[in-house]
Amino acid sequence: MPGIKKNRGFGRKHAGSVQEKPSLSLRSRIALYYTIATAILLALVFTLVFFTVERVVYSHFDDELDREVSEILEKQSHGRSDVWNFDISDDDSHSDEGGDHHHERGDDENRDEDDEEFVQLVSQTGKVIARSANLAGDTLTFQPGGQQKRFRSSTAGRLDVRQVQVPLADSKGKIEGYLLAAVPVRDAVTILGDLKQVLLLSYPAIILTLFILTRVIAGRSIRPVEEVIASAEKITRENLERRIPLPRNQDELYRLSATINALLERLQDAFQREKQFTSDASHELKTPLASLKGTLEVLVRKPREREHYEERIRFCLKELDRMSRLIDQLLVLARYESNGIKAHMESVDPGCHISEAIGRMHPHALQKNIPISFTGPESCMVSADPAMLDMIFENILSNAIKYSPSGSTVSVTLSNSTGSVLCSIVDNGIGIPEEKLSRVFERFYRVDESRSSGTGGFGLGLAIVKKLADLQQIAVTITSRTGTGTTIELRFSRHEKF
Amino acid sequence: MRILVIEDEPGIARFLKDGLEEEYFAVDLAFDGKSGLDMALLNEYDLLIVDWMIPGISGIEVCRQVRKAGIDVPLIFLTAKDALEDIVFGLDAGASDYIRKPFAFEELLARIRVQLRRNSPAGDQLTAGRLSVNPVTHQVFCGTGEIMLTPKEFSLLEYLVRNKEKVCTRSRIIEHVWDIHFDSDTSVIDVYINFLRKKLDHAGCGNIIQTIRGVGYIIRES
Repeated sequence: MPGIKKNRGFGRKHAGSVQEKPSLSLRSRIALYYTIATAILLALVFTLVFFTVERVVYSHFDDELDREVSEILEKQSHGRSDVWNFDISDDDSHSDEGGDHHHERGDDENRDEDDEEFVQLVSQTGKVIARSANLAGDTLTFQPGGQQKRFRSSTAGRLDVRQVQVPLADSKGKIEGYLLAAVPVRDAVTILGDLKQVLLLSYPAIILTLFILTRVIAGRSIRPVEEVIASAEKITRENLERRIPLPRNQDELYRLSATINALLERLQDAFQREKQFTSDASHELKTPLASLKGTLEVLVRKPREREHYEERIRFCLKELDRMSRLIDQLLVLARYESNGIKAHMESVDPGCHISEAIGRMHPHALQKNIPISFTGPESCMVSADPAMLDMIFENILSNAIKYSPSGSTVSVTLSNSTGSVLCSIVDNGIGIPEEKLSRVFERFYRVDESRSSGTGGFGLGLAIVKKLADLQQIAVTITSRTGTGTTIELRFSRHEKF
Repeated sequence: MRILVIEDEPGIARFLKDGLEEEYFAVDLAFDGKSGLDMALLNEYDLLIVDWMIPGISGIEVCRQVRKAGIDVPLIFLTAKDALEDIVFGLDAGASDYIRKPFAFEELLARIRVQLRRNSPAGDQLTAGRLSVNPVTHQVFCGTGEIMLTPKEFSLLEYLVRNKEKVCTRSRIIEHVWDIHFDSDTSVIDVYINFLRKKLDHAGCGNIIQTIRGVGYIIRES
């Protein structure tokens, strides 16, 4: 099709730098497919129309021939008994045209052929026995063989005719010869020819017009898509907060735009988290470094008292401890985040681990005067990794102590419920605002945005808890109310034989 | 020169105070945004050092509020953030400069000097008549002879020389040369002025500090 080359150009222009391989644009493809389908359908329709018209036209002639033949046969059977003795002179043509016949044939244009019938008798071998006068020197073509009446288009001299070939049989049924009758079909042929010409010429014109129209329409209907593309292209890492304007109609394009927007939302969120993570991590790592570096630099600028040195060095050691705790926690996270690590699940009694963890946290709890109570059934078994379990309880308890005021209590309860074991750690601490609850499991996330070092945390504890719990298929939920306290629930699957 | 440090990290706050005081600055500390902002609005400081992430009001907000109140004091951000957009954001909020943690103390001092130099185009060297004061080396010369001063005396002289040809009221002198822990008894100024005058007289730069009775003191070029 002539349109295609142009379309390739169009496609390349738009795909441009993005796509190296030039390909048909969507609008051209739609137009092409639509046009091909229509072309096939139209070809079928045109063919059908042409052959229907042809059949109708010829059936008209065939009826006429039928009438003529039966007339002749009737005459013959009424008249003489001799098979060959026909009256093949046409009454009408005789009366109308008579001897001018030859002259008339030379002047084809003016002859009224509708009234003409040609008749011819042929022996079984094809020898012409008799023919009507208007045939003059021409013969009707004979096709040997056949027991049935046969209609077909043929020529008589220069004239297009529709002819019938009727076998003539004697009383015993043996074919003696054939009667051929024909009528000229000049007008009909002209009409059919014209029809054919019209159809053949209009076909490509229609297809071409259709292709162009479809492309324009397709172009119009996908213009909103282009707009979506254009606005999506403008969105980069720097302006991720931009969104694609939603179309007015709630159609597929609306859904497309809404989907892209939702994707952007998630992307922006991920970028934001990543940025927050980097910023928080750098704060946690650089603050103790800055403190150390500054303290030591100021210390060595001038000679000082021995006590002064000792005091500052002790401070530096404390800062170093803090840093190594941070590095330890980071390494724990890093180790369990590399995919190879699996939990070594075994049957354990969480009660024992809770008691041990409470024991280890005791000095800190004592310092802030926070009693930790524990109630639980005699024994209950869950499947978990004992080492990971220790870390989980320690981190949760450490948080509970960190964020609770002196003199408040922390209580741990272990209870059996259907199919699972529930462990809840409840504190009466400062609590977490509801809007921040969803983020407390993120690495380095701290509710205190200033990340003050006073509490001694880095924001990694709950991230570690979550990571380890996930590895052991322990469900962790956290509920909290500001000023009232925080509850962390661990739901273990009870140890079954596995 | 009086500096306010707003920093919640006790280790950093402490070494800043120690180090800066050894450099003859009067240093006030604030450990959260709220009290820091109050102090910045209430007192007249020559420089603010503000940590970005502090409890209460963020460092950025402190900076904005200070600028909103029309205080054009040099402000240096301390930050662990090092993303370009954070730095641009901080500077756009009205900070004069920023320094990334961990930083070298000497660099901080240099940046402080840059900020203090803003108002005296002559550079670090301050002069008044034959008197020249070098805030970097903390040396004072009268002609070519060096005058040995105590830190407080030096600070007082430096302040007066920086504000030469302007009357320095007693309360302003107290605000800029002594830190917040000093009670508001301004008679201590007279004591130090006396010490200064004696040492200057001795070196041949007498009569440079003049008394404006009932108001304060002034250093004149001639």
